[in-house]
Amino acid sequence: MAGVADSDVRLGRVGKGVRLAVALVGIGLLVNGSVRASDDVWPFGPMSQYAQTVPDDASITYTRISAQTDAGTTVDVPLNIEGAGVARAEIEARTGEIVANPSLLQTVADGWAKKHPDKPKYVKLELIRDTTQLVEGRVDGPPKAEVLATWQVRR
Amino acid sequence: MRAVANWFTPKIALARIAWLRTILYLFVILDMHAFVRDTRLKGESPGLYQPLYLARLFELPKPTVAITTTLYYVLIVACLVAATNRFPRIAGWVVAPAFTWWVLIGMSDGKVDHDHLALVIALWVLPTVAQSRKGSPWADQTRSEAAGWAIRCVQICVIATYFLSAIAKLRSAGWALTWPGSAILTWAIVRRPHPVGEWLLHHPWMLHVMQWIGIIGEFLSPVVLWLKGRWQLLGALFFIGFHVANTAILLIHFLPTVVCWLAFAPMERIVPWFRSRRSADSADSARSAGDAGDAREAEDQTEDGRQAKEQAGA
Repeated sequence: MAGVADSDVRLGRVGKGVRLAVALVGIGLLVNGSVRASDDVWPFGPMSQYAQTVPDDASITYTRISAQTDAGTTVDVPLNIEGAGVARAEIEARTGEIVANPSLLQTVADGWAKKHPDKPKYVKLELIRDTTQLVEGRVDGPPKAEVLATWQVRR
Repeated sequence: MRAVANWFTPKIALARIAWLRTILYLFVILDMHAFVRDTRLKGESPGLYQPLYLARLFELPKPTVAITTTLYYVLIVACLVAATNRFPRIAGWVVAPAFTWWVLIGMSDGKVDHDHLALVIALWVLPTVAQSRKGSPWADQTRSEAAGWAIRCVQICVIATYFLSAIAKLRSAGWALTWPGSAILTWAIVRRPHPVGEWLLHHPWMLHVMQWIGIIGEFLSPVVLWLKGRWQLLGALFFIGFHVANTAILLIHFLPTVVCWLAFAPMERIVPWFRSRRSADSADSARSAGDAGDAREAEDQTEDGRQAKEQAGA
């Protein structure tokens, strides 16, 4: 099928060389990211989601925010975009900062108030860590709760 | 060296690029609403904004409502244009940096997802491919090395997503293979409880089997790049099954990576296949009507189909 070969679109030497170089540099960046860099170099960072080794006697922590509302109820803040506009993973990633500076929780109250103007407002927020203990790789009893930070919401 | 260069630039029909453009640019619109969907919100309350390396390197401004709203509308328009394969290169060169910025903002809050590598790289390589100016882009059987390079880049990134996950598992254990025997899935399920997972918590050995299958699959994933035809399809189905299992156990779907598996699919065969079916039908009716002209056309179409088949292994 000579006709087909004639109609093939080939690359020139430069075009091919540049593409080869770009591909090799890209692979180099990916390897560098996986071997020594962190998530900071996205999209060339390590594929580290769920990559950690969890020992059989690990304490599994789960961070949540509990809120007292102006209706007198206590609720778990829905940590997603539709809820308070912040994802739980973001809160977990910033736990240290929030403990050092609880005023960061104001964003959560503001996010909730803005998205749900007709629902009870948050008056007090607590950053809580639930700890589940593993024994020989199995869950041992219900989680224990610990308050890490408290924030009185500003109006 | 030439063999290496040729491996990176196989000759692939431009039709596959056209199909990828349509699917991926429409997927970007879906992504903006379903997956990386908090970017506009971050323009409103940038309190937790923590710029990633690329954002600092290019000194991208802190997101504001004006920036994220502009990005949103520019992306919607450019994606819709590019998806039609009209001005796909100009529109594509708008989408690539705009969507990269969109995702950068979405992930600049301390949490980075790892499912966007192939999609983002696909958006940067697609605009490098020129269209040939004959007929429908989705039917264009012109084979092009530029198209092959773009396809290869997407394929490599899809596979890298798995292979590098295995590397990350070794690295996090101080370069040791402890991950598959650890309680990682138990940990994941405790933190994201749901019925299937909670049932599995009572059977840790099943979770360990899954961990071994997962990491072995990830290590072997590069093989898929060299498989052909049916075997490659099997490889792809294995990883798609892997995502189905992940979705059931961890509620993690990885759709932005899954859609890029289409770079392996010989989508350039879609139009010839459709045409040959249609002309086979009309040839049948032509035969009964004794019209030779239609049958001749049908023969031409079969020829198209054969050409498409020959390059499908690439």
